[in-house]
Amino acid sequence: MGGLQKKKFERGSATNYITRNRARKKLQLSLPDFRRLCILKGIYPHEPKHKKKVNKGSTAPRTFYLLKDIRFLLHEPIVGKFREYKIFVRKLKKAYGKTEWSAVERLRENKPTYKLDHIIKERYPTFIDALRDIDDALCMCFLFSTFARTGKCHVQTIQLCRRLTVEWMNYVIASRSLRKVFLSIKGIYYQAEVMGQLITWVVPYQFSHDHPVDVDYRVMATFTELYTTLLGFVSFRLYSSLNLVYPPKVSWTKLSALSASLARVVSSADEEEAQLDQFPSEGEDMEKMEAREKELKQQEAQKKLFEGLKFYLNREVPRESLAFVIRCFGGQVSWDKSVCIGSTYDVTDETITHQIIDRPSVGKQYYIQPQWLYDCVNAKILLPVEDYFLGVTLPPHLSPFVEEKEGDYVPPEKLKMMALQRGEKPGNEQEEDEEEEEEEGEQEEEEEQEEDDNGDEEDDEEESLHVKVTPGKLKVENKARLEQEEKAEEKRLAIMMMKKKEKYLYDKIMFGKKRKVREANKLAAKRKAHDDSEKEKKKKARK
Amino acid sequence: MILTFENLSSNMAAARRLKRVAISQPGFLTLNPKVTPTDLVSSRRKRVNKNKKKNWNKYSDVQDVEEFLEDLVNLKFCFLCEEAAEPVKGKKRKGKSSRPLRIDLILQHDSLVAPPKDVLAYQKPNAKKLRRTAERAEKLAANGVVPRSKKRLLNRTVVDRMSKKTETEANNNPERDFYDIWGQETKDLGEPWYLQQTRKKLVKRPEKLNEKPSVLPAVEVIAPGGSYNPDFFSHQELLREAHEVELKKKKVEDKLERQLAYNKADTATEETILREQVEGLVEESEEEEEKDAPKEDGEEVAVGAIAVADKKTERQRKREKAEKMKEQQRLTERRQTEQQQQLFQLRSIKTSIKQQEETTQIRQKRRKAKEEAQKAQPRRLGKLKFQPQDMEVQLSDELAGSLRQLKPEGSVLMDRFKSLQKRNLIEPRERAKFKRRLKVKYVEKRAFKEIS
Repeated sequence: MGGLQKKKFERGSATNYITRNRARKKLQLSLPDFRRLCILKGIYPHEPKHKKKVNKGSTAPRTFYLLKDIRFLLHEPIVGKFREYKIFVRKLKKAYGKTEWSAVERLRENKPTYKLDHIIKERYPTFIDALRDIDDALCMCFLFSTFARTGKCHVQTIQLCRRLTVEWMNYVIASRSLRKVFLSIKGIYYQAEVMGQLITWVVPYQFSHDHPVDVDYRVMATFTELYTTLLGFVSFRLYSSLNLVYPPKVSWTKLSALSASLARVVSSADEEEAQLDQFPSEGEDMEKMEAREKELKQQEAQKKLFEGLKFYLNREVPRESLAFVIRCFGGQVSWDKSVCIGSTYDVTDETITHQIIDRPSVGKQYYIQPQWLYDCVNAKILLPVEDYFLGVTLPPHLSPFVEEKEGDYVPPEKLKMMALQRGEKPGNEQEEDEEEEEEEGEQEEEEEQEEDDNGDEEDDEEESLHVKVTPGKLKVENKARLEQEEKAEEKRLAIMMMKKKEKYLYDKIMFGKKRKVREANKLAAKRKAHDDSEKEKKKKARK
Repeated sequence: MILTFENLSSNMAAARRLKRVAISQPGFLTLNPKVTPTDLVSSRRKRVNKNKKKNWNKYSDVQDVEEFLEDLVNLKFCFLCEEAAEPVKGKKRKGKSSRPLRIDLILQHDSLVAPPKDVLAYQKPNAKKLRRTAERAEKLAANGVVPRSKKRLLNRTVVDRMSKKTETEANNNPERDFYDIWGQETKDLGEPWYLQQTRKKLVKRPEKLNEKPSVLPAVEVIAPGGSYNPDFFSHQELLREAHEVELKKKKVEDKLERQLAYNKADTATEETILREQVEGLVEESEEEEEKDAPKEDGEEVAVGAIAVADKKTERQRKREKAEKMKEQQRLTERRQTEQQQQLFQLRSIKTSIKQQEETTQIRQKRRKAKEEAQKAQPRRLGKLKFQPQDMEVQLSDELAGSLRQLKPEGSVLMDRFKSLQKRNLIEPRERAKFKRRLKVKYVEKRAFKEIS
């Protein structure tokens, strides 16, 4: 037989992959160095589709990398730096062992270092790529800046992270890009919109101290190394896009207190730009453009939510988070001098409009709990302050990241909020008399109807009953109602003309839709029952 | 035994050594009270190797040599200065007064003519030239012109040895500078051919590496029930999910228990053990006759199967062939009729094809959906499987009413670490256990052995 027989595992997927240990030996690095290199360069292990083929017949769990990726790694100049560092450590140990202190000093002065700029440029060739990955970077930087400054990770890294996070927060304040805030049991979630990208990040609470043992700190430190560099470059670019000087020339105390107004590179004399005429782009109707304009206007209004208001934060509230949120929307804020440096005005200032307190004591009228601020930000309007006074049970803090679809259950608090957004006044507190309970019930019905776009006829008839009472509104609503009725008629005709099979499918779909509505009604009824029971309890307590 | 001289001497030496050791022990009592142990220990000088440099200073007595040298020095000085001559003279030299040394006399000049001056000793080569250049330099310096070497010296900047270069250049220096990395145009280092030949060409990053290894977003926001002051229903929803997770765990445990469980009633009692052991031994005589009869039949049947088959006759073979041919013909006819009939069955054939296509399409869709779902799952990248975090939930009585009383649940550090694993950026890791290469051996100390 000739020697050209095909042998197993010599071509195809078996030759495309390489195990971790083989790759490490090819690069002549130790395992922690190899891990660090892979993290920095963005090379991740790959799970092959047919493990048995790649593993040459065995099913042992192994980590595989693509061979081409490892070959690419061979050209990296940082690999040389890692080897130099290893030699440096060896020499240092020797000098220590021989107690040659002059040699130790000399070696320490010439310690090999490396920079990651070229890696950033290679991994993120454009600025927008970098912006897309900034979520992760922000989370890591915020996390590391809360670490205690013991020797576990380099103190310099923690300092750098703190500096970068403060600069980022100042940028968000200057550009007014914060959109959503959510207080969870884990930490505070923020969402900002920067250059069209939605960026979400988590900030842990300042007072959580448990450090889990299972986490590999070296890996996290390597990630942080990369991300601090990335965040620094992105910050520079963002600052220059706003014509601000980077690094900010304001003193560090003012910067960290988030009370600084950043200096501009070129002072813009005309801050009111001329309003450009907007023409509809191709393929867009006037309606869509109007909708977009409306949105933009709303956003502009939202950016100036707290403008003109002066806040004072008491000692027990989370100062940094609240200061950030307040300043992002144009408000002024201050706190007690003993808490942190950088407070601008004192408690005794008479122009303070709101004071944020978290204690159960009963005080003056305008003391509010901190949840008011966060709910205002999420609702994009100023909510009534009465629900958030001291000692009052707070309404639930809803998540702004939830998008409710048609027919889903919507908690009544959210309904109230939406009503407020539309400019209607909601029903009063539950502790009022029964007359107001009826009104509340009616208004709830109205709200549910407005939501329910299916156009049920029963609701139409009820509405028409109300309409008859006030003749002034008749004409306006009649037209709308007529149109709706016509549409409903057409729909019914179409349904009658369907074939059996199609009708069967249609019934199934409608059943599914109505099921959701039914469930939502059930939940609402439950909630009502719960509220009623609570009311009774309160009444009993009063008696 | 022949006592040779060497043997004898060595034996004696050993005995002497022993005696010396014994005497030097504290508390040694001699028979004679007058004699003390110190007398007995002969102060024998220890044998020292005087050839070593170390021992020259220690063990050699150079006092007499040093005295002689001192005397010599005194003599020499005496010859030069006359004041010291007297005490030297005071020393009794046998009849001869001190005379100058012969060598000194020889070295004196014996003629009154002064020796000639050696001109070469005073000559300097290039003296004139040097003098002239010095004059020129003086003139220039008087005019204010500084020579080039001095100028360069003055221009040299001071090397800052005190600043730590490595700290400022480190990547995590808190005061580090950032610049516009995307704004700069790429520096054109040279022609591509040149770069390739000098091996300075930068390698292009492969496109595949820019794809993200997972479709999951970087930050997953917690469900609305995870708010610090949640809405009743969303909180119940979250609790229900946590409850389901717990149920699953319990199910697995229960299953394991069930598999391991055994019925206590099934354990063998003494009675059953006895019966089992005695089986077939006690009741033999009664059932023997019954057993004989069926046994014979069985044997016959067995015998029949083993019997050799007879050879096939010609007739049998012909018959078999004919049957085969008939069978084949029948089949071909049937096939033909089927083909002809298929024309009339087109409609049903069409419907069956449609059904098959539909089933294949459904299967394809299902497979695609499964693949999409698999993409969102974390891949198996190493030895360990991915363990998702425990859900962060606060029970209804743990919920804090206000921000001040909030007790944070779960840690963001753990959350980030798990998120990195979920997105296939790192392989799932566990804390490394401390493994000893060599086994530790436990030995009791002698003191403890005596006690126990």
